[in-house]
Amino acid sequence: MRLALNNLSVAYGRAPILSGFNAEVGQGEFIGLVGPNGSGKSCLLKTIAGLLKPKMGDVILDDDNLHTLPPKDRARKMSYLAQDRTAHWPLPVGQLVALGRAPYRGSLGKLSAQDELAIDHALDAAHCTDLKTRRFDQLSGGEQMRVHLARALAVDAPLLIADEPNTALDPYYQITLMNTLSAQIITGKTVIASLHDLSLAKQFCTRIWVVHQGGLVQDAPPDQALNKDILSQVFNIKWSGVHWEVLSPQLVLP
Amino acid sequence: MKLTLLIIFCLCMVLISISIGALHIPLPNVISAMLGRGSDIHVTIIQDLRLPRTVLALTIGAGLGASGAALQGYTRNPLADPGILGFSAVAALGAVVALYFGWYALVTPAALLGAGLGALLILAMAGRRKGASVLILAGVGIGALATALTGLIMNFAPNPWALSEIVYWLMGSLRNATKDGAILCGLLTLLGLGFLFFTGRDLRTLSLGEDTARSLGVSLGKVRLLLVIGVALCVGSGVAIAGAIGFIGLFVPHIMRGIFGADPARLIPLSALGGAGFLTFADILTRVLSGQGTVIYLGILTALIGAPFFIWIAAREGRA
Repeated sequence: MRLALNNLSVAYGRAPILSGFNAEVGQGEFIGLVGPNGSGKSCLLKTIAGLLKPKMGDVILDDDNLHTLPPKDRARKMSYLAQDRTAHWPLPVGQLVALGRAPYRGSLGKLSAQDELAIDHALDAAHCTDLKTRRFDQLSGGEQMRVHLARALAVDAPLLIADEPNTALDPYYQITLMNTLSAQIITGKTVIASLHDLSLAKQFCTRIWVVHQGGLVQDAPPDQALNKDILSQVFNIKWSGVHWEVLSPQLVLP
Repeated sequence: MKLTLLIIFCLCMVLISISIGALHIPLPNVISAMLGRGSDIHVTIIQDLRLPRTVLALTIGAGLGASGAALQGYTRNPLADPGILGFSAVAALGAVVALYFGWYALVTPAALLGAGLGALLILAMAGRRKGASVLILAGVGIGALATALTGLIMNFAPNPWALSEIVYWLMGSLRNATKDGAILCGLLTLLGLGFLFFTGRDLRTLSLGEDTARSLGVSLGKVRLLLVIGVALCVGSGVAIAGAIGFIGLFVPHIMRGIFGADPARLIPLSALGGAGFLTFADILTRVLSGQGTVIYLGILTALIGAPFFIWIAAREGRA
């Protein structure tokens, strides 16, 4: 698996979100995508997942241009865990997780033995095997999040893209989730996840992308990436040695 | 087990629908008349009147039920239905235009044309923009416009007789069922059901929301196209024969969801079956309730049952 983002520019309507974004990802990496609210993290992840078409530049996955790949082929190469974690009908968990196998099935086919295996593995990895027969709408927010993670893992794709997978989880499951994602890269998969918790990003990711105002301002291992300058210039925060402090917003001259 | 009961319910409705009528025919004679044996008068009544009527109730009910289930699956909204999304209104407008000009032979093609054009218009408006919510808005808007134009045509009706013709037709009825009509409606509905069944798998994936479904390889444009063609065929052919029959597409999927679970893919065939059984039941009811001289129209009856149901769902959604 090799992913290349070449001079990527993306806009919502006329409002530019990302511009001139260049990066590369190889097999077995765990990229932590960090940046303030509105910096373009979700937009970048959606573009990599093929859900947004770039205005300029392209996303190359192995040897294919992602945005010209047939949808089912693309769906087998990457799995996307959206920020929106709804399920619109009160379906059983087993059936929702099985939807992760949609890219492999024809319009009428049944689940194959391989599908069943992938579903069981995913349920196990996301710690929700015991939820399999429960109804989704009767689960807690954290349990629903784990079910969605299992659904994304069931795709069993070489690349997993997760948009803020940690939200709505208690500390125990936040760390468990990071462990699950880390376990993915040991099996040769690649993970790109947007995160707000910088300490978790630092602990688990192999590389950090810092996004600020639609551009990649830092691409380095965690120890180098999350330095004092980045914290103050990008996040407007400072570690005093005892506690975190908020810096006064910088004046931007027009 | 539940499925078996549903099938038995449908079969019972078929038998009752064929058995009742102005002339009492004993059940053994009904069955032999269906096979073309027995007295000529029995064979004519069964084969030319009651059988087409029953087949029409089954096919129109199946088309409306499946359309409702598919539209609810696509919009992920339990209040979606071909009537509410404007499909019935544009089909009715086509038929009313034909009635206004007295082109009785063209009522069926005009309703189909209306449904097709309306579907294209709704599709074009929903366009490539984000799917479900825009489809609802486009459908409601175009439906309202079609209803207004239907009113305008009635406004300009040349004489009370033409006006009453339109009004009665809009109330929906299977009284004018014919063999040819049943065959035409049956074939078009089957074709439409085929399109709808093909959307099932993708509609199930859409339960996860549009972004996730797309990431799993679902093409929203393809689903919407199959859906709109399927609904236009089912609803257009039904409206063409029987006028506007509302609310079947709304509450049949709802009841099926309560009995068989919420899987949007399975709900399409199940709602087709349920709709077939229910509309046949409703048609039997209109015949039982209609006495000498007074006729209860099928569309009025389904609306009388369906509208309170709609209000009940809306109230329950509000509480949830």
